[in-house]
Amino acid sequence: MWEFYARSFNASTIFMVAALGELIGQRAGVMNVGVEGAMLFGATIGFIVAKTTGSYLLGFLAAIAVGAAIGALHGFFSITLGGDQVVNGMGIWILGFGLTAYIGYPYTGPLGLERIPSVAGISPFFFLGIVLIAVAWFVLFKTNVGLKLRSVGENPSVAEVSGVNVVRTRYLSVITSGMFMGLAGGIYALDYNPVWNYNFLMGWGFVALALVFFSMWNPFILLGGSVLFGALWQLSLNPELLFEDTVSRYIWRTVPFVVTIGALALMSTQWFSSRWGAAKPEALGMPYEKD
Amino acid sequence: MKLGRYQIKLEKKSGFTGWQAAVISIVAILFALFLVGFIFLQAGVDPALGYQEIFSYAFLNPFGLPLTLNRAVFLLFCSFAFIVPIRAGLWNIGMAGQAYAGALGAFAVALALGAKGSQTPSLPGGALVGLMILGAMLGGMAVGAIPGILKGKFNTNEIVTTMMINFIMFWLVAYMIKEGGPFMGSGGEGEGFKLTESVRPPLFKDTPFTLWVSLALAALLYILFARTKIGYQIRAFGSSPAAARYAGISPVKISLLVFVAGGLLAGLAGYHYFAAVPGLYKIPKNYGDFGDLAFYGIICGLISQGNPLASIPLALLFGGLTNGGRFVQGKLQLGFGIDYALLGVVMIILVAFQFFFRYRIILKKAEKEN
Repeated sequence: MWEFYARSFNASTIFMVAALGELIGQRAGVMNVGVEGAMLFGATIGFIVAKTTGSYLLGFLAAIAVGAAIGALHGFFSITLGGDQVVNGMGIWILGFGLTAYIGYPYTGPLGLERIPSVAGISPFFFLGIVLIAVAWFVLFKTNVGLKLRSVGENPSVAEVSGVNVVRTRYLSVITSGMFMGLAGGIYALDYNPVWNYNFLMGWGFVALALVFFSMWNPFILLGGSVLFGALWQLSLNPELLFEDTVSRYIWRTVPFVVTIGALALMSTQWFSSRWGAAKPEALGMPYEKD
Repeated sequence: MKLGRYQIKLEKKSGFTGWQAAVISIVAILFALFLVGFIFLQAGVDPALGYQEIFSYAFLNPFGLPLTLNRAVFLLFCSFAFIVPIRAGLWNIGMAGQAYAGALGAFAVALALGAKGSQTPSLPGGALVGLMILGAMLGGMAVGAIPGILKGKFNTNEIVTTMMINFIMFWLVAYMIKEGGPFMGSGGEGEGFKLTESVRPPLFKDTPFTLWVSLALAALLYILFARTKIGYQIRAFGSSPAAARYAGISPVKISLLVFVAGGLLAGLAGYHYFAAVPGLYKIPKNYGDFGDLAFYGIICGLISQGNPLASIPLALLFGGLTNGGRFVQGKLQLGFGIDYALLGVVMIILVAFQFFFRYRIILKKAEKEN
C-alpha cells in the first residue's frame, strides 16, 4: 500500500514540474502544446549525458539546458516570428518525438548508475517539486516580476505602455518554462524510470498540458491536480498494488486518458466556468506586435 | 536591420498565390533534407549517396516502389483526416487513434462473420470486404465524434482530446490483440489474427484498390471545399468562427461534421494498411509504427495548405522517404530512426518557414545616414 502511495508521489512530481513550466509560459500569454516534446528532449539528453559522464548533476543540468533551448526556440517562433503558437508547439512536439527517437536509440536500455536515494520510497524531487510550486506562486502573485509576467499575458499593449518590455518578459518566461519541462523529463529518465526507450513518455506531457487547464492557472490547484493524476497514472501502471485479479493491464492504461478527457470536458462547460470563473490569461495564444 | 550596404525590411503580406506557397514549401522541404544530410555525415555516410539510395529504393526498385505506394496511400488518408478539420480551423492530431479504430472496426466485422484464419465465411468475399470497409469507417467515425462533440458543445481543447484518444486506442488495440485478447492470432505471439483468403481484396498491378479510393477522395474533397455549400461553411467557420456563427452556421454541427469525417478518413487508413496491403492482412505486433507514421499526415496537410490534391505528391514523397529511410538504415548501417529524425526536422523547418507566408523580405540599398 505504502509502495503505491510513494510511487504515486514520484509520478506526480513529473506532472507537477512539467505543468508548472507550462503554467508559467501561459501566464505570460505563450502556450506551448509541445510539452511532451520538450520533456522528451530533456529526458533523452539528460539520460545520455548522465550515462556517458556517470554524473547525475551533469545529467540534470543538461536536461535543464536543453529545455531552456527548446523554450527559447518556441519563443523565437512565437514571439519574434509571431507565428501561430499551436503550430509552433506542434513543431516542438514532433521535433522532440522524431529527433530523440533517433538520438537516443544507441543508448536504449538502463542507465546503470546507482539509484538516487529516496526517503521511504519518496524521491527527493517530490519535495523539490512542492518547493518549486510554492516559489512559483510567490513570484507570480507577490512580486513585481510576477506582476509584469501576468500583465503581458493579460493585456500586452497596456503592459507595454506602462513600461513593461513585453518581448523580454515573454522570452524570460518561455525559457523558464522550457527549463521546467526539461527538468521534468530529466526527473523521469534519471530518477522515476531510468531506462531509455523510444518515445517512452507516451502521454505524460499531454496530460501535463491538460493539468494546466484544470489548474485554472493557479500553482496550488496544479499541485493538487498533479498528485491526483500521479496516483491515477501509477494505478494504471500497477493496478495490482491496490486490486487483486483485475481487468487487463492494457485496459488500465487507458484510464488516465479517459479521465483527462472527462475532466477537461467538465471544465469547459458553461456550468463550470460560470461557477468558478475563467482565470484564463486574456492574451493566451495571441502573438504580440508593437505598433 | 542592416546588412552591409543593404537595408533589410520586412513587409507584411496580405496573401499569397498557390505558386508562391508551392515554392516556399519546396524550399522548406529541400532545406530540411539538407539538414538531415548532417545526420548522414555524422553517421559517416555521404549524404548524396544516402539520398540516392533512399530515392532509388523508394521510387525505382521493384520491391521498394509498392511499399512506397502503400505508405503513400496510408499517409494520404491521414492527410485528409487532418485537412478536413483544419479547414474549419480545428486540429485533428488523432489520426493514429482513428486509424486504429478503423482497423478494429474492420477486424471486428471479419471476426463476427467468420473471416478469421482458415475459416470459410458464410458470405461471399466481395460482400465481406464491403462490410469490413463499412466497419472501418464506422470505427473511425465513432472515435472522431468524441472530440467533435466536445469541441462543438463545450469548446474543449481538441488537441488534448484527440491526443488522449490516440493513447486510449493504442492500449485498446494492445488489449484486443495481445495476452488472450479477442482478436489475438493463433500463433499467440501478441499479434492479431490473419484474414482468410477470400476477404483479401484483389490487387491491381501489385497495389491495393485503396490507392484508387484515396485518389478519388482527393478529387472529391477538393470539389467539396471549392464548390459545395457545406465546403464553404467549413471554410467560413475556419476563417472566423464568430462571423460564421453570426451567419447562422452552427459550431456544433461544423465541429462534429469535420471530426466525424476526419475519423472516417483515418479509419480508411487503418483499413488500408492492416486489411488491404499484401503480405499483412492482420494487425501486426508493431502497429504503433503505423500510428507514428500517421503524424506525417499533419505535415502533408500543413504543407499543402489544406489542399487535398496538393497532398498527393507530398504523401508520395514522404511515403518514399520513410520507406527508403528504413531501407538505408539497414543497408548503410545507420542508427535506427532516420525516418523519425526526418519527421522532426521537416516539421520544425516547416514551422520556421511559416514566417515567409506572412512576410516578404525586401532588400534595398541603404540610404546615406544623415
